[in-house]
Amino acid sequence: MYQDDGSSSATSSPLQFFSMAQLSPNPSNLGSPYPYLRELKSEERGLYLIHLLLTCANHVATGSLESAEIALGQISQLSAPDGDTMQRIAAYFTEALAERIIKAWPGVHRALNATKIKIPSEESMVRSLFYEMFPFLKVAFVVTNQAILEAMEGEKMVHVIDLNASEPSQWIALLQALSGRAEGPPHLRITGIHQQREVLDRMSHKLVEEAERLDIPFQFNPIVVSGGLENLDPEKLRVKTGEALAISSVLQLHPFLASHKNPNSRLLQRQGTLGELLLDQKDNSFDSASSSSSPPIGSPSSSQGKMDWFLNVLWGLSPKVMVVTEQDSNHNGATLMERLLEALYSYAALFDCLESTVPRSSIERLKVEKMMFGEEIKNIVACEGGERKERHEKLEKWIHRLEMAGFGNLGLSYYGMLQGKGLLESYGCDGYRMKEENGCAVICWQDRPLYAVSSWRCRK
Amino acid sequence: MATSSSSSVPFFGMSREEVDEQMKQQAAAAIGVGVGLGVGGGLHNHHHHPHHHLHHQLLQHSSSLLSNSQLTTAGAQQQAPPLSAASSATGSGPPQPKKKRNQPGTPNPDAEVIALSPKTLMATNRFICEVCNKGFQREQNLQLHRRGHNLPWKLKQKSKTEVPKRKVYLCPEPTCVHHEASRALGDLTGIKKHYSRKHGEKKWKCDKCAKRYAVQSDWKAHSKTCGTREYRCDCGTLFSRRDSFITHRAFCDALAQESARNPPPSLSSLGSHLFAGAGGAANNMTLGISSTAHSSAAADILRLGGSTTGGAGQFDHLLPPSTTTTTTSQQFRNQPHLSPSSAAFFMQQQDQNNSYQPFHHTLMQQQQQFSSDPNNAAGGGAAANQLFNLGFFPNSSTAGIDSTTSTNNNNNNATLFTNHNNNNHSGGGDDHHHHHHQMMMGSSTGGSVPLFSSSSVHQQQMNNMVAHMSATALLQKAAQMGSTTNSNPNATTSASLLRSAFAAGPNHNNQKSSSSSSGEKQHHPPPPSLGSFGGSFFGDVDTNNSNNNLHDLMMNSFAAAAGNNNNNNNNSPSMFNMEEGNHNQSSGNNNNNNNNNGGSSSNNKKLTRDFLGVGHVAAVRGIAGGTTTSNISQNQQQQVGAALERSSSLDSERNNNNSMGSHSSFGGNPSFQ
Repeated sequence: MYQDDGSSSATSSPLQFFSMAQLSPNPSNLGSPYPYLRELKSEERGLYLIHLLLTCANHVATGSLESAEIALGQISQLSAPDGDTMQRIAAYFTEALAERIIKAWPGVHRALNATKIKIPSEESMVRSLFYEMFPFLKVAFVVTNQAILEAMEGEKMVHVIDLNASEPSQWIALLQALSGRAEGPPHLRITGIHQQREVLDRMSHKLVEEAERLDIPFQFNPIVVSGGLENLDPEKLRVKTGEALAISSVLQLHPFLASHKNPNSRLLQRQGTLGELLLDQKDNSFDSASSSSSPPIGSPSSSQGKMDWFLNVLWGLSPKVMVVTEQDSNHNGATLMERLLEALYSYAALFDCLESTVPRSSIERLKVEKMMFGEEIKNIVACEGGERKERHEKLEKWIHRLEMAGFGNLGLSYYGMLQGKGLLESYGCDGYRMKEENGCAVICWQDRPLYAVSSWRCRK
Repeated sequence: MATSSSSSVPFFGMSREEVDEQMKQQAAAAIGVGVGLGVGGGLHNHHHHPHHHLHHQLLQHSSSLLSNSQLTTAGAQQQAPPLSAASSATGSGPPQPKKKRNQPGTPNPDAEVIALSPKTLMATNRFICEVCNKGFQREQNLQLHRRGHNLPWKLKQKSKTEVPKRKVYLCPEPTCVHHEASRALGDLTGIKKHYSRKHGEKKWKCDKCAKRYAVQSDWKAHSKTCGTREYRCDCGTLFSRRDSFITHRAFCDALAQESARNPPPSLSSLGSHLFAGAGGAANNMTLGISSTAHSSAAADILRLGGSTTGGAGQFDHLLPPSTTTTTTSQQFRNQPHLSPSSAAFFMQQQDQNNSYQPFHHTLMQQQQQFSSDPNNAAGGGAAANQLFNLGFFPNSSTAGIDSTTSTNNNNNNATLFTNHNNNNHSGGGDDHHHHHHQMMMGSSTGGSVPLFSSSSVHQQQMNNMVAHMSATALLQKAAQMGSTTNSNPNATTSASLLRSAFAAGPNHNNQKSSSSSSGEKQHHPPPPSLGSFGGSFFGDVDTNNSNNNLHDLMMNSFAAAAGNNNNNNNNSPSMFNMEEGNHNQSSGNNNNNNNNNGGSSSNNKKLTRDFLGVGHVAAVRGIAGGTTTSNISQNQQQQVGAALERSSSLDSERNNNNSMGSHSSFGGNPSFQ
């Protein structure tokens, strides 16, 4: 078909092939399967996919749906949820982009998801797979526990609130560490919050058993909240005077950033000229900047409102220490392209983690990728307004936010950092790194920060 | 593997009771009875946990003349009767008789409570001589000093009859437990140290490790012992204090137990390999400590503890291996021609195991070097490996080999070491060492790691590299490709997006604020439209992205060739400027040329994201087809760092093609105008 297609690609650099590959889809064979595309080597295909993805996202962002449609078609020729990393990523991102397009037809969208059932047990299963496959949560637990341990030194009555009580191992470890305390173990009460009663029951059972074994006075206080922490009744936390309170929040705060304002999906309204586009972008960035500094008053459902409310609740409990783990990425940008590009980088890192530690054929890996990352990507890319819960933000924003909410950065101890680092190293996969930033622990894949753990006290 | 029994915790061959006992001992030690249960039997007098000072014990000395005496007394109290290395290391030492002491911060009720302000506390010299303004920490010292000025002076005499009133001091930090009178600390030095340790800035940094101290004496004490004795948990964590180590073990073990108890569907190994050999390596740890202890003199970098071969591996690495010392610059220079796409390959293994190096491209050279003789790979380290790979590392060596042959594709190895071995098909008897040291090295010293890495892994990576490339690397590469593909307008969107995101790293100072404004362009000749489109339209996105790893990777790959990064031309976020920024790293000043050359009047006309071939593909193809070959060579040149040639040829190419052929063709396809 093309004069130098095959001959040169066999021997030359992939770059060259890439530039040729771009040319290939010409009007005459649009929509037809491109056999040579399937023969692309992984790397070339990857580059091509990135390119297509961004092109497609651009079209979606600007509302050029026909072009987007063509791009989606092309990507789907190349992507594969069980292929190499880039193929997988591309598959999930196109799914997300397609969802975004479909959302312009709410009826269609709803119909397509009509039979989608949320199975809580599946969700917690995926969460625990994530816990197993990645070191992130484990490191977060280690660092959290160490911070709690240090803050509770000398305390006789310790109360720990776990905003997402799903992993007993964290608290078993804390029990053990407390039992080895110089001054003897404290009276320990753990309040576990979760959506499912069964999870809490299991946890309660394990913790009570362990506490008995270690002979630590212990009490577990389960709180079932349906529909997320937003529906938490602070009264139920039953924080008593005289006890030292620790709060552990692992990936629980960012959903509070979800706001219902500007629900206007930018889908179909962007057919303007470049100038308009530029203006639009500027406006958006201005918007986001101003809204983060001065929240709109009187909109109770705005992001600031919900976040403020919750942080205020936590602050009102006067925790002696609050350890916060959050994603350390910027997935809360105002524009689709901004978010998509950031997400592309972070999820590329996450997928790379899996690629380097788990076989491609692993069903568990597929599950985590699809049910966790895939859903997150979908949420970041396709959703807007209150629906968009995965509003991961950078550590510095969290620091600022928590400081505004009356918390003071405690700074993690070196010992805590050391423990986290050690655990990471134990993965033997040296892509995992940990660094310190403003007294917080940042867990990275290669150089890309993915999660951050910070420790806070109540500034009264 | 850890057992699933919940009643005893069998790691390191110690029963739970023993561990608890030791914890208690350690706790006691930390408060002054017996610090120094350490391996070598020496003193551990650096304190992570400052509260452990037993300040109120010093009350008796509060009237003694000089602070020194207090300090020395304190020091003496903290010195443990040193246990023998063997007994403490194996955990079978006789339990120390423990003196029952008050907890820190439970002073006698009749003591006088003194609250000092933070300022006073932190003031180093509270007592100032009115003549020469010299300050002293103690009044007594001032008195002695005044004597030198022939001023009236008076030393407080220790009264024989009157028992000096005991004083206790409050911590001024309201949130601190020692802020309350009931928990006040017993001496001034103590409260000072407490205050700076717990609430002050840690301004003393250890040169050798990452630790920081707020109190200079802590820092000094740490510096003396830093690197000399350390405990390494199987999970890889290092500890300089045994009590910390044991506390940590509890955690480690709890997690291991947990994953042993509920093995996830088929992931049990993933979960538990974390705590590699927690159970299985039961004896390794103690043996590891005692037997490697005597060689620590040879290399203090040698980590003690139960890291099985990890210790040896690390050791390897830190020896400058004679065969592996290719100089960095050489490596960097050599790297590119191996593969133009070699930047940041962390290629996956076929068998999906881990241990990838972050910057493999720097290794290509070595890899070639080694590929002829895999066994040579360990280089200088091989001897050391053998040395340390004694019988007490059965886990890692034998099991590793077994699993290498049998379970290449599975992660069901018990230890992380064996995981690594999986990568090693070619493995003869010794090959696993490479993996070990590679891993350990990787974990302990970030970027420089791969310089001393082993070959077998990389050999395989080399093979696999052809197969696939990590997504991160691809993104980086896509960004890098902006420079070559931007001659093709189709590439604009992705390439420039990524590219500017990528280049935002080096240039972010300049780009930060005004990225999306057209004001930028006033500083410069208008960059080519494609570039400006990419850069400015997505300016917001890109510049916010300054922390992306692409930058670092890029910097790495260009590091050697990098002369000076002229920032002056990087103000514009346009794609071409990005590109120039990168050229500058290697060559210097082609930027203006680029700008000028690239600058064309029909800017926005070419804003085609018509990549999909909706129109005018033929024209595009013609361009690219015509330039294919030169592209290749350019790429390579670029990689090699001959950026002068590269950029000029690229420029000319771009100008030739773009300005003639493509401009019109894209101008004719203004899909967004």
